[in-house]
Amino acid sequence: MTIFVLVLMLLSVNTLLFIRLVTNEATTSIREQIDVSIYLSPEATADEIDEVYTYIASLPQVTHATFLSQDEVLQNFKNLYKDNENILASLEELAENPLGATIVVKTKDPADYVTVIDDLSVPEYETIVESKTFTDTQGAIQKIDVITKNVEHFSFALTAFFAIIAFLIIFNTIRVAIYTQRIEISIKKLVGATNWFVQGPYIVESILFSILSVGIAVLLVYGATGILDPYLGVILGDPKFLTNYYFSHILSLAGIQFGIVFFLTLISSMIAMRRYLKT
Amino acid sequence: MSLKIVHEHFFLSIFLHPPTANLLLKNKVWYTDLRMIHLKSVSKQYTADSIGLADVDLTIDAGEFVSIVGQSGTGKTTLIKLLIAEEKPTSGTIEIGGWDISRIRQADIPLLRRQIGVIFQDFKLLSKKTVQENVAFALQVAGEPYKRIRDIVPRVVEIVGLKHKMDRYPHQLSGGEQQRVVIARSLVHRPKIIVADEPTGNLDSINTQEIMEILKKINEFGTTIVLVTHNRDIVNQLRKRVVVLQDGKIISDEKHGKYHLSATAQ
Repeated sequence: MTIFVLVLMLLSVNTLLFIRLVTNEATTSIREQIDVSIYLSPEATADEIDEVYTYIASLPQVTHATFLSQDEVLQNFKNLYKDNENILASLEELAENPLGATIVVKTKDPADYVTVIDDLSVPEYETIVESKTFTDTQGAIQKIDVITKNVEHFSFALTAFFAIIAFLIIFNTIRVAIYTQRIEISIKKLVGATNWFVQGPYIVESILFSILSVGIAVLLVYGATGILDPYLGVILGDPKFLTNYYFSHILSLAGIQFGIVFFLTLISSMIAMRRYLKT
Repeated sequence: MSLKIVHEHFFLSIFLHPPTANLLLKNKVWYTDLRMIHLKSVSKQYTADSIGLADVDLTIDAGEFVSIVGQSGTGKTTLIKLLIAEEKPTSGTIEIGGWDISRIRQADIPLLRRQIGVIFQDFKLLSKKTVQENVAFALQVAGEPYKRIRDIVPRVVEIVGLKHKMDRYPHQLSGGEQQRVVIARSLVHRPKIIVADEPTGNLDSINTQEIMEILKKINEFGTTIVLVTHNRDIVNQLRKRVVVLQDGKIISDEKHGKYHLSATAQ
């Protein structure tokens, strides 16, 4: 029973950890996919393009600015619509490349895109910059953040709940065990056993509880990562995202969990035993 | 070196590993002080109207065999508990072998108890341990090496006549045999004092005689014995010192006394 409750607590801790991990990864992935494209007028001269590019690249919020020439934009466009013959036929009919050069900008934070767009919305660039597209992914990111935080709060509450239940059950189990052994403890004390000598078996028991519960939890979580990975792989792009993460952090994860369980069981037994050690 | 000290050297070298034996031998108070137990104005008050002992002065010399008698609730068990530091006196001082244990530190209690053998009416044996394991346990708690424990335990068990039942569990032994295991356990440290609280309370007359013979033998080897008992025949047979307690006070103390519960023998 004690081990069962400890395993449940550890599973909820692992759930919390993975939820954090997956949501962080998902948010980062979405953030990385966001950029703003600044379409320049096909009539813009090379000097004007250069000026706009230099200006954008010099903005402190901008982490990366990629310049795509008219030809590159046309090629990308053709690649994008390679299966649509109508569009490709229409392009052939045009004598000149209708698409202007494009600057693809990435910023430190999605909120900076608004600033970049505002900075370009000045009269001197009106004739050069044809349009600025920025899909409202900021709203999506904020929604993800809210969901992540709510999930974290729920998981944290769940973990705390299991931790309290585990502590109470462990404390009670050990208290009953020690109560049934109170005569034995008093005999040990009577023949000159030190408190450490009396507590020794209970410390060993705490270590065994910790090893067993962490071992079971590690196996179950490993099984769970194998089941979840195919589903998460679709979203995160890595078919073994959880398994790889779990393997690369197994020692620290198991170590921390062992520490928590050992501390919990040890404290419980020390408190439960305190009164019998006084005589 | 007196004969008594030679005797101590002999026993210590048999029972204890050399460093511990040397340490005890250097601790002169255990060997030169004739006063083994000394209570000075000792009182123990549990609650306002519950008095265990009231202003008791008692001195027991090394090698004495003292019977403590008195009606139930007169403070006999309190006295035993004070001697093994299970309780602390409300006032007064208690010295064991020159060591003031009145305000003994919690950490020192195990050391004290390894020097006092305790025998109770209800045996207090570890039910899941065999005879030899029970005896060995008293040495294990003192950190004695395994080899030495293996060497000493059979010899001590033999002294109490249970060598053929070394692997029996307490429930497989008679009351008298269980009490003999307790005596073996208390002897294994070669204690200077043995405190026996109603050791024959659960035994028939034959077993009672056997236990008393063993205790007398132990006393003859120089160990101080404090015996708490209700058994009139035992006390009268012993013809040793008898201390009578009543309402937490000593009302009679005779060198070669008989069993009686009032101030004077009837």
